[in-house]
Amino acid sequence: MTTELYKVSARILLLPTLLVALGVMVKGYADPGDGFSAGVIAALAFALQLMVFGPGELDRLPLIRYVPYAVFLGLIISLLTAFVPSVMGQTLFTHWPPAGDSAPRFGTLEFITAVAFDVGVFLIVFGFGVGVLSSFARAEGRMRTSEERVARARAAEGEAGNTT
Amino acid sequence: MMELPLGILWFGAVIVAMLDGTRRRNAVLSIVILASALVSTLVLGADVYRNGTQEMVVGGWEQGVGISLRIDTLGIIFAVLSQAVLLAALVFETANGIKARIFPALVLFMGLGLTGVFFTGDAFNFYVFFEIAMISAYVLASYGETPRQFRSAFIFIVVNLLGSMLFLISIAALYHTTGRLDMVGIKAQVPLVAESPIVLISATIFVAFGVKLGLFPFHFWLPAVYTGTRASVVAILSGALANIGSYGLIRFGADVLPRELEFGAPVLLILGAVSIVYGGVQSISRHSANEVLAYSSIGQVGYIMVALAIGGEAGVFAAILYTVINGLNKALLFLAVSMRGWLVGTAFAIGAFSVAGVPPAAGFLGKLVLFQAAIEDGSWAIVVLVLLGGGLSFLYMFQLYRRRFWIAGEEEEESAHLPQVIVVGMAVGLLLIGLWPQPLLELADQAVLGIMGTDTAP
Repeated sequence: MTTELYKVSARILLLPTLLVALGVMVKGYADPGDGFSAGVIAALAFALQLMVFGPGELDRLPLIRYVPYAVFLGLIISLLTAFVPSVMGQTLFTHWPPAGDSAPRFGTLEFITAVAFDVGVFLIVFGFGVGVLSSFARAEGRMRTSEERVARARAAEGEAGNTT
Repeated sequence: MMELPLGILWFGAVIVAMLDGTRRRNAVLSIVILASALVSTLVLGADVYRNGTQEMVVGGWEQGVGISLRIDTLGIIFAVLSQAVLLAALVFETANGIKARIFPALVLFMGLGLTGVFFTGDAFNFYVFFEIAMISAYVLASYGETPRQFRSAFIFIVVNLLGSMLFLISIAALYHTTGRLDMVGIKAQVPLVAESPIVLISATIFVAFGVKLGLFPFHFWLPAVYTGTRASVVAILSGALANIGSYGLIRFGADVLPRELEFGAPVLLILGAVSIVYGGVQSISRHSANEVLAYSSIGQVGYIMVALAIGGEAGVFAAILYTVINGLNKALLFLAVSMRGWLVGTAFAIGAFSVAGVPPAAGFLGKLVLFQAAIEDGSWAIVVLVLLGGGLSFLYMFQLYRRRFWIAGEEEEESAHLPQVIVVGMAVGLLLIGLWPQPLLELADQAVLGIMGTDTAP
């Protein structure tokens, strides 16, 4: 099932896919795209690795163990953008800078609090996707090894039965 | 600070989710978070009671454009009730030893979802918070993680996902016909659009909430789930989560779609009556304690339907009161029946009196206002029905009491002290409401005033 072609293309595709995810998130403020779709794309990049290489190989990628915790980080970032304005006496989710004002820029990137919210959404979706996929993969792996063990034990029993 | 309870619960739930809930320290932290949310809700409630409904449109958008939070007395009553039941169940489970690390976080997330449902003024946002509460409930239903609990969780998830989907469809349809998602806007638009689509939508909404409540033709999932899950989880499902159903019917029926509620009153009356009789008769014929109580819940929501069917201010008033008292009854009974000891037995008896409607327990008050509403309406059939239902519930509650607390099982020993104290505290609360009902009556009166616009005599 897993040929060399799959393996090579999966490996080559990982970084470009993550870059596309970043692009989708950044351009989301003027064109279609946002943190949610970026999160899905980034999680799909890891799903591909998982399908081709299996959970063991995926765990060797740097920082992958901490990705599921991104859900909490993302949730807290998003909640902060919602609730910090209310601490400062405005309504929930009041964004900064207010409508009509110009935002600080870095190239074409504009820094507004809506971006922080979207980064939070990205982290939630990405962390959830990778976390769920890898925990399913691990459960599946565990089941397979235990099934193999049972089969091997049965085979050994059968042999023992044949010799006696 | 009308968003404070939501903020406390939301941040608290995320923080507790990161910790191991089986450790006592973390469980106590979650109790502190839930208790402070309850206190802030009470403070907010006092403010709402004095100064009237509070409203905020999120993000500084215009009314009707942004999502709005709208807190009136009805929302406060339901939020306080649900948070109190959740708190009791959480303390109960902590005292018995929490078995899953995610349990306290799930209780907080459910508190968040319920509080959000009761505080929102936007139909779609209602659905979002509703799903937060439901998803926590799906996971909670499998708490204990034995095959039996997984089986009942599976039934619960499948049936309630169908209910949620119906509700989502009806919100989409409401938006399509009225062009609004804020409840105030929908309420204003409904009389201006064609009647037939709205009637269809109302029927769908009714079915969706009927499934949550476990009303007669939609009740089939309820006994299987309530007998399969653990005591604290059943208390949460029946005392806190089921409030979504009755709140939804009161909010969408009496508040947003009053004309359609009146139109559907005969259906509600028949279903309510069937629920009362069916629940009562089934309860008498059952033997396992949780099964009796599960069928009893089916019967009890029948009264809420009958109250709504009577309609008018008196009917809605009775429906609110009955929901509050029923939620407390059920939480108390489900917790008490899982334990042993004479203190718990006494608490159970008080709860049983309350279900049967015997003074001075709070249930008497619920039956009384229902009687008043029925007599005011001049419908003697309902009076007879309520009497009959009361008789049935008296019978099955004391059958159960006798089986569970009089005939002592030799193999079972008395339960730990702290859980007993919680149950007794809830029983005392029920007695207090029965003996000094004035605050609750006034609150319910103001809630009706907020919905229907004019005053009502309690």
